[in-house]
Amino acid sequence: MNEPEQQDLVFYRSGGGRVKVPAAVLSVMQSYAQHDPVATEAGGVMMGRYIASSNDVVIDVVTEPMPGDRRTRYSFYRDKRRHQAAMDAAWEASGHTCTYLGEWHTHPEERPTPSEIDIKGWNRRLCQDQFDEELFFLIIGTHEPRMWAAKSATTTWEPLKIKK
Amino acid sequence: MANVQTQFDTFHSDKKTGIRLGRFKKEKQLRDKRNVIRRRLKANLPGVFAKYGEPNLVPKFKDQGSYKMNTGIKPLAGGSGYDIDQGVYFETPKDGEGAYSPLTLKKRVEEALNGLTDTIRIRRPCVTVFYKENGVEEAYHVDLAIYSARGSNSDGKDYLAVGRVGDSLSEQEWKVSDPAGLQHELFRRFEDDTHGRQQFRRIMRFMKRWKDVNFSSAGNGAPRGIGLTLNAHYGFTPTYSDWLNRTRDDLGALRKLVDDMLSRFSHQYREKRQEWGRCLIAKLPVEPVSDVYENMTLVQMTSFETKLKDLKAALDAAHEESDPHEACKGLQKVFGSDFPVPAKSDTARKAAAGAASSGLSG
Ligand SMILES: [Mg+2]
Ligand SMILES: [Zn+2]
Repeated sequence: MNEPEQQDLVFYRSGGGRVKVPAAVLSVMQSYAQHDPVATEAGGVMMGRYIASSNDVVIDVVTEPMPGDRRTRYSFYRDKRRHQAAMDAAWEASGHTCTYLGEWHTHPEERPTPSEIDIKGWNRRLCQDQFDEELFFLIIGTHEPRMWAAKSATTTWEPLKIKK
Repeated sequence: MANVQTQFDTFHSDKKTGIRLGRFKKEKQLRDKRNVIRRRLKANLPGVFAKYGEPNLVPKFKDQGSYKMNTGIKPLAGGSGYDIDQGVYFETPKDGEGAYSPLTLKKRVEEALNGLTDTIRIRRPCVTVFYKENGVEEAYHVDLAIYSARGSNSDGKDYLAVGRVGDSLSEQEWKVSDPAGLQHELFRRFEDDTHGRQQFRRIMRFMKRWKDVNFSSAGNGAPRGIGLTLNAHYGFTPTYSDWLNRTRDDLGALRKLVDDMLSRFSHQYREKRQEWGRCLIAKLPVEPVSDVYENMTLVQMTSFETKLKDLKAALDAAHEESDPHEACKGLQKVFGSDFPVPAKSDTARKAAAGAASSGLSG
């Protein structure tokens, strides 16, 4: 079956600016969408650029499930080591512009909402992880992807609107 | 909106990869040749007129065209080459006793320049002196527009000698023409607006390069540069991303201009070709107040409109795009390979790699 041609996904940020998920990057994540009733959750980290003199962010790189990760129908555990190595390599290759932006994972539901485990994990990342300004979390549902964002030193998660 | 003004600035520069003609290198070379031609005409014309038993006419010279208006661009490789336009004015009436036919006066000019270069050709609107460079036969040229000056004509107007060898007498004409008046009309709105004038010139250069890249140089399928200039005269609005600081927004200015041009395409009667059809008109705001696109066929008009729509799509996409790298890739498709595409790493601010801990999602 041929998938329809993937398009860029663009989210609006409330303070102005956008988050772009280019088609090629989106299709990597979409390939793990849990359409199959026995498909397990998948995920990875998201990296990309803060575009100069703008409020725009572009996601350039996402990691995929790797050895050491644990996948079940309703959970995904990401082990940091291999993902961090991929991040460091992407950062070097980008002239130190491709930075850690957040995380993605799949849900076996049409229009995904974060679970309690998700929110807890996101809040912990806001405290513990090293990142630039804010973190973005993307959940790939079976019908649509959704994204949330929060700034460091907050726990307020803002759902981002998709640009039609 | 991706900020691509840096790339438009580079594209417009007279540096190696920019489209603007350098005032000091290429234009100096053209000016030097123009001066040689002026001296040669002054020296040789008396002899030529004497040979035909005609009274001597002393030419007066005026710069015209894109050199005069400072809207010249570098030609593409394999194109028609660099040029400079020179008006040559003679005190001789266009009609009545002792009047020259347009072609005869052009032949006198051609004869006075005989031997200056290997190739001198009489073309319909001018006498053209071609120059070789680095083995390229017609690398650059000087176009001489020959006029019957206003002082000799009862209506006080300048007339351009139009016609080439092989044209019948009825195809030759003295055509009223006012390049200085046109330039005045084009720039008068910018008398107190340096930023607007500079942007107007940049936008004209971008449109001319777009034309060179998107239309084959063979035939007259391409809209004339003067037509694009007139379209800009009617459709250009100075556009800034920050009005108070006059921060340039050339992408925004181009979008407005192209939208305006597309909105003016309509079904209308084309006088010269005596046909109805969908077209864009570029009317001279000075005499002869004609449509400079009047010789384009309807097929050429359709292709012009289609290519303008492609340009609009690329400009709109660049406006929508958040990644300057992608935006410029799209702009390069319509403006050609001289339009710079920044590396992704040059579009973003530097940041730490970051560190992501292990974790569970549900
Ligand atoms: Mg010329
Ligand atoms: Zn979840």
